[in-house]
Amino acid sequence: MTPVLLLPAALAALAALALPLIVHLARKTEQRPTDFAALRWLRERPRPRHRPRLDEWPLLIARLLLLALLALWFARPAVFGAEDAIPVVAVAPGVDRARVATAGLRAVWLAPGFPDLATTPPARVPVASLIRQLDAELAPQARLSIVVPAILQGADAERPRLTRSVDWRVAPGAIAAAPPVRAAAPAIVVRGDSRYVAAAARAWGARDIGAADRGVGRDAVALIWTAPGALPPVAQAVLDRGGTVLFGAATPIGGGAATPVWRDALGAPLVERVAVPRGRQLRFTRALTPAAMPQLLEPDFPRRLRMLFAAEPPPPARIAAGDYAPSSGAEPYPQPATDLRPWLAVGIAALLVIERLLATRRKRAVAP
Amino acid sequence: MLVSQRAMGGHGLGLHASRSRGAGLEFAQYRAYERGDELRQIDWKLYARSDKFFVREAERESPLTLWILIDGSASMAQRLAAAKTLAACLAELAIAGGDRLGMMALSEDGLALVPPGSGARQRDRLLLALHTLQATGGFPAEATLAPLWERIGQRDLVVVLSDWFDPAVTAAAAKLAAAGREVLAIQLLTPEERDFPFDGGHRFRDPETGEELLADAPALRADYLQRFGEARAALHAELEAAGVRHVDYATDQPLDAPLRALFA
Repeated sequence: MTPVLLLPAALAALAALALPLIVHLARKTEQRPTDFAALRWLRERPRPRHRPRLDEWPLLIARLLLLALLALWFARPAVFGAEDAIPVVAVAPGVDRARVATAGLRAVWLAPGFPDLATTPPARVPVASLIRQLDAELAPQARLSIVVPAILQGADAERPRLTRSVDWRVAPGAIAAAPPVRAAAPAIVVRGDSRYVAAAARAWGARDIGAADRGVGRDAVALIWTAPGALPPVAQAVLDRGGTVLFGAATPIGGGAATPVWRDALGAPLVERVAVPRGRQLRFTRALTPAAMPQLLEPDFPRRLRMLFAAEPPPPARIAAGDYAPSSGAEPYPQPATDLRPWLAVGIAALLVIERLLATRRKRAVAP
Repeated sequence: MLVSQRAMGGHGLGLHASRSRGAGLEFAQYRAYERGDELRQIDWKLYARSDKFFVREAERESPLTLWILIDGSASMAQRLAAAKTLAACLAELAIAGGDRLGMMALSEDGLALVPPGSGARQRDRLLLALHTLQATGGFPAEATLAPLWERIGQRDLVVVLSDWFDPAVTAAAAKLAAAGREVLAIQLLTPEERDFPFDGGHRFRDPETGEELLADAPALRADYLQRFGEARAALHAELEAAGVRHVDYATDQPLDAPLRALFA
């Protein structure tokens, strides 16, 4: 438990402590007039008093303390190492919560926000991400147990490597799986003069095949453009709609980094994807001739060409729970400091009430 | 009862020892017959026993005139109520003893005079004069004090109620005492003047002269108490030298203390 100031430069506000001291100095000018008949025996001492006097010192102390606490508030006091170390048990949704013993523990669902076990969790949760998040948020000395069903949904590609060793328990139950996604390719529009591409398109049953000067429909989201010349506005329109356009090698296209999406047997790219702000832009890297691209003549060329336009399948997320048990050994994450400002605000409010009471009580001199 | 230190003279009926011894009510003493005494004053029984002529003397009760002098200057403002109460007490004593009572309030623009008289109506006149009395201005000048000498008789009892800060008061009292009057002095002080209990800064103001002094009170305390004590000691010495009996009275004390000290 180390107290710390997160903004120590704000302590410069302590300079304001001088103000009440100045205000409370006993003033000579505005004195209480007192009738005194024996004045002739009262004479001012020749040497001045050298100790300045302060009026109303309880009120002065209250005001100084108030200003000091305000300066401290601006300096954002916090405490490191004050997290609670209660053991936590996280239950994956789908597991019967009655099977989990929660005496003396903090029991939560393995769901976004880690709600209490009494509430109802959502059906589908990103399990791997939540396990890592829980491990990062808990204090290093808190013990963690995770209760999962036999088959996990929502796992990611890496076995979790956490900062602590976790009690990994398998209980009866099942997490709801994500619904399957149909990876259907949209209707592809082919424009240009490459007869190999046209033949491939006719092979998979595409209807909309034509020369470059035939227009492209307003709702086309997949286009193959093999005509020479500059980038046509219809292709840009498809990209702006968020669609996919495959350009021939001759078309000059702009864009950012290029990543290969179709390599040949030797690993050289045939089609690469060029990053653009909107849409998905692909281009052939070689001329569409059998001499440059022998793959044009292979029997699976139409299928592979069509797969370029297919929606990406979801990554695999199903795994047996025993194979996904997390390992430990990662570096512990630095925990954030506990903010002390709410408590300090309560103290400042109480002190303000005391100061006002002292300042407005009846038995009080006129100044300060 | 008003007690005078001296044998008093006068006419009429009073409770005091009278200087005039003659036919009266009570027996006082026998003295030898001298030429000129009245023959009817000779005690014939004593002549029959002693064969000498003795004259019988009696105490003649005669009245005393009490004069109350109240200082009406501005310095009396804080103690004027006490002074008025003391004056009223003295008046009660005088009237209860059958004595005559007169008052003079000494202010700068004139003396408020209540001519001496006796009886309950004199008390009322005195209380009326006290009621209208205010403390303003300084001590009156010599010329204004002329009635003091004209009115106060040879053997009258004078009680001066003042703070005695002004030396003119002491001078007038000494002059009265030197002229044969019996003068009693009651010095009225406030507790603040006696103790100086002030704390913190004050703007002290003299009510008579208007002089002001800005001061930090605790720093002046010791010096003031010493000087004031010296001034009071000097005053007492001067009054005793003049033959004036004096007593101090602070306004936080019971009112009968100075009267007991003077008359008990």
